[in-house]
Amino acid sequence: MSANTERSPNYEYVTARVRAQKARLFDEDDYRKLVRMDPGEIARFMEETEYETEMNALGTRHSGVDLVEYALNRNLAKRFDDLLTWAEGSLYGYIANYLRKFDAWNVKTVIRGVYTDADASDVDDDLIRTGEFSDRLLDRLVEAGRMEEVVETLSNTIFGDPLEAAMPDFESEDVLVPLENAVDRAFYAHLMDDIGTPEPDSPRALYREFLEAEIDFRNLRNALRIARSGADIDPGEYHIEGGGLFRAEELRQLAANVDQLVERIRESSYGEELSAALDELAEADALMGFEHALDAALLEYSAKLSNRYPMSVCPVLSYVLAKEREVENVRAVARGREAGLDVEEIEEELVIT
Amino acid sequence: MMETLELASVVLQDSSGGISGPAAAALAVGLGALGTGYAQRGIGSAAIGAVAEDDDMFVPGLIFTALPETLIIIAFVTIFLV
Repeated sequence: MSANTERSPNYEYVTARVRAQKARLFDEDDYRKLVRMDPGEIARFMEETEYETEMNALGTRHSGVDLVEYALNRNLAKRFDDLLTWAEGSLYGYIANYLRKFDAWNVKTVIRGVYTDADASDVDDDLIRTGEFSDRLLDRLVEAGRMEEVVETLSNTIFGDPLEAAMPDFESEDVLVPLENAVDRAFYAHLMDDIGTPEPDSPRALYREFLEAEIDFRNLRNALRIARSGADIDPGEYHIEGGGLFRAEELRQLAANVDQLVERIRESSYGEELSAALDELAEADALMGFEHALDAALLEYSAKLSNRYPMSVCPVLSYVLAKEREVENVRAVARGREAGLDVEEIEEELVIT
Repeated sequence: MMETLELASVVLQDSSGGISGPAAAALAVGLGALGTGYAQRGIGSAAIGAVAEDDDMFVPGLIFTALPETLIIIAFVTIFLV
């Protein structure tokens, strides 16, 4: 990871490429077409876009929605590995750190797979092979049949200790929240460690600002989920440190009272970005819509940061988020069409900015 | 006090002191070239990035990369002014 960090960062080159790629992501029109196609048509449509190479490479072995999904995952991993090959200097460090997110994703996928007794090959298909974990470690994780095995395999990584600490909670409550939170917390704790308190308006400070927003949003989501599920869990205990919006005690009080929580967010610095999401929450009373609105708000916030500070890590992070979103959207469309959902129902699942 | 006055009159009279006109012009052109190079470093790498993603960006990239050339061209004019 430190091989590339000696040189000065090449923001100009990476940002130019990333912006060009972001411009090529599917837009609203593409989605409108996609939700009206059947799985075969979606596959053909994707062959004519960005995903051509992956579709052709995998086309002989898979078909239908599976083909779409594998192509999406593979393309995602390829694009993000590309980012690391382009970047130099401190920029490389930021991106590499942020892509650890996929380690967290992979760990969560494995945990969920073990929890639901899913097939090893199914879990394997859902892994995204980018990030810090080696292929061998991932293979071993997939093979693990019990939660204890997973935790033990991870003992040498940043996720080892937090997961071990969360195990008793998992065993007594039999819900995944403690484990998933331990993973998130380990990921963010490591991210924030390296940054410290930078001088304002430097690329480093922006990186921090962006991460704080993401942590705040995640805290918010967790608090609401716990409040909604009615489980007897203390939300303060699952608070992720490092955000600017809540402290652990505050979150504990606010999670009990959704109205107060909403009021609090409206007054915060994210009030403007999140107002659409909050209206949705107050109106539809559905967590799903609110979470999608949160995602959209984070996407917009990152896009705003990347326009305001073009020579920073923000455009890259904004691209990473947007690309992830696209993959999730296309997957939702393909799976939805396969299951025979209505166009309207699928459109509700999409997050388009 | 006397000394400074003498010194001042010597400096003011002796127009050939310091650096000569051509040397100053050469310096101006050189510095202008440095500025151009520095500006083109960033623009050039961004342009290469854009072209790598999209061939149509070649002409705009070339234009933007060439824009800082104006700096060195204007600096070049100083040669004819001395």
